[in-house]
Amino acid sequence: MAKFMFLQRGGGCDTPPKMTPEQMEAQMKSCMEWMQSGKDEGWLLDPGAPLSGSSAVVEPDMTVIDGPFAESKELVGGYTIVEAPDLAAACELAKRTIKMAGAGKIEVREIANVGQ
Amino acid sequence: MKQSTNQLVEHFFRHESANLVAVLTRAFGMRRIDLIEDMVQVAMLEAMHAWKQRGIPGNPAAWIHHVAKHRILDTLRREKTYEKAVALSGLSMADQSINAQESIVDQWLEEEHLPDSLLRMIFVCCHPSLDRKTQIALTLKTLCGFGISEIARGLLLPSETVKKRVQRAKNSLATANVQLELPSNDQLTLRRDAVHDVLYLMFNEGYSTSHGTEPIRDDICEEAARLCHLLCESPCSSPATKALLALLLFHAARLDARTDEDGAVILLEDQDRTKWDRCLIGTAQSWLGQSKTDQPTTFHLEAAIAMQHCLSPSVEATDWGTIVLLYSRLIQLRESPVYALNRAIAMGQAGDTHEALSQLQKLQNREDMKHYLLLDCAFARIHELEGNKEAAIDSYLVALSKTVAPHEKALLEKKLRKLAD
Amino acid sequence: MPKYMFIYRGGHEKIKHASPEQIQQVMQMWMDWIEGGTEAGWMLDAGDGLKPSGAVVNTDLSVTNGLFAESKALVGGYSLVEASDLTTAIELAKDSPMPKSGGIVEVREIANSGKQDA
Repeated sequence: MAKFMFLQRGGGCDTPPKMTPEQMEAQMKSCMEWMQSGKDEGWLLDPGAPLSGSSAVVEPDMTVIDGPFAESKELVGGYTIVEAPDLAAACELAKRTIKMAGAGKIEVREIANVGQ
Repeated sequence: MKQSTNQLVEHFFRHESANLVAVLTRAFGMRRIDLIEDMVQVAMLEAMHAWKQRGIPGNPAAWIHHVAKHRILDTLRREKTYEKAVALSGLSMADQSINAQESIVDQWLEEEHLPDSLLRMIFVCCHPSLDRKTQIALTLKTLCGFGISEIARGLLLPSETVKKRVQRAKNSLATANVQLELPSNDQLTLRRDAVHDVLYLMFNEGYSTSHGTEPIRDDICEEAARLCHLLCESPCSSPATKALLALLLFHAARLDARTDEDGAVILLEDQDRTKWDRCLIGTAQSWLGQSKTDQPTTFHLEAAIAMQHCLSPSVEATDWGTIVLLYSRLIQLRESPVYALNRAIAMGQAGDTHEALSQLQKLQNREDMKHYLLLDCAFARIHELEGNKEAAIDSYLVALSKTVAPHEKALLEKKLRKLAD
Repeated sequence: MPKYMFIYRGGHEKIKHASPEQIQQVMQMWMDWIEGGTEAGWMLDAGDGLKPSGAVVNTDLSVTNGLFAESKALVGGYSLVEASDLTTAIELAKDSPMPKSGGIVEVREIANSGKQDA
């Protein structure tokens, strides 16, 4: 089994779409189901968290830039760590995550996990 | 120094383990020195076991290097931190980390690169954060490959003391994660002086006759000279390093003539000079020749004195006048009652027993010389030289009352018997 | 105490052309940093590296395969640390081997991470 990291691109909690309380509750419920099924099936290693608080970037020359990485298309909104036999299977899990947890675009990356 | 096959094997294992510890610590950091020492030990045991069954391989050193390196890499690869470092540094992507680590260790173990790692380790063992005694113990352990009990026997200390001292030193160096690097230019003089001191004291520990005889003591002398030679051949050496090596070699040349078959000490004047190692004396002379400088150090002057002795066919034929001058210059460089005592003896040997006695009397008033056996021996020697047998006997008796060490007693009693004849 | 994720970007070009000795030094830097942080307690999880290949699953559930390898902004790895505030976290990031290797450390606070301790 390989480990994969989901990097959420956009979406996340930063820009909550306008929702009715009912919609919100449904979203929460679906999110809980996603987490529960992930735990039960064993592929969800770490549900992770949104990265939405304060942020900064340290450049190689030690200058510090306020805010997250400048190019917004590269912005990481949150992360999740899962286990899957291969990239294709991990992508299927990513699809479920988008559907159930209401995530935006997900970058799926295999974790180096040296020595395993 | 005659060596049996056993001793040769022992030297091989000691030196190979020291080489490996230096190279592997340089490669994997001071923090891992305990692990590295354990793994090197395992490799040594494995080698002995395998060689007993299959015979000694063509290149035994390479065999041990190979086993030890793989043992350590295998252990490291199982370490979480190591894995993480490989992953985070991006090395896992190129998958070159493991090869790189292996090839750097191989490279450092090659004969021409080995001295560099050893030299770095010398500076670590003589690190300014450690006191002299600890520096000596750590050098013997790490660079000479001696075991704790051997060091304890060599330094006449309880094993437990040596063990604690070495372990504490390793812990503090590991915590500070001291790098195996050569001192920077502005630090070099200071750090090199510390190394000189450690090697000088280490040799003296081995050479000193006051502790009886243990074969380990000759080994310590040899090791001090070996490490000094290593420093001499490096860009970190100074004229003082070369003078120190000359000094150690002049003394080493006389090691075998210094004791009789029973291990009893023979004084310089009674030694069989044909037993002195002419080859070592020649090497020492050549190093002293290379050590020329406008500012001679105490090592230069001590080596020059040792050379005077080594080149003289007998006590009588020795150029005592020159030796007196050399001691005077030593005293100018560093005030020391031991130098003054030796100068007084040289004065007596040169014929000026009157001045010699007045110098010794001055020393007698010093608090730190009150219990110093050799002062009374010096008095006795001068009295002998002026033909005053009774005064000589009196002085030897005073000396005898100041020691309980059996070999010192034996030596003094022998002197007294000779005078009574 | 708030938790921060260090997102590492770039810095892998240099190591591809490094000598074994330089590689050794880089390894040593990372190990020292990880061990130091773990001992001091601020390193919660040294994290891991991410392999350069991967895929993007879009919101419409279409999949785009392995397109990032060339990007300078490629996320190469991450670590999780704990710090009293962003300024402290930035100092930790500066001490990391990443800037020295020519890479970037993005310091990101994990949402709501400090709340329950307050």
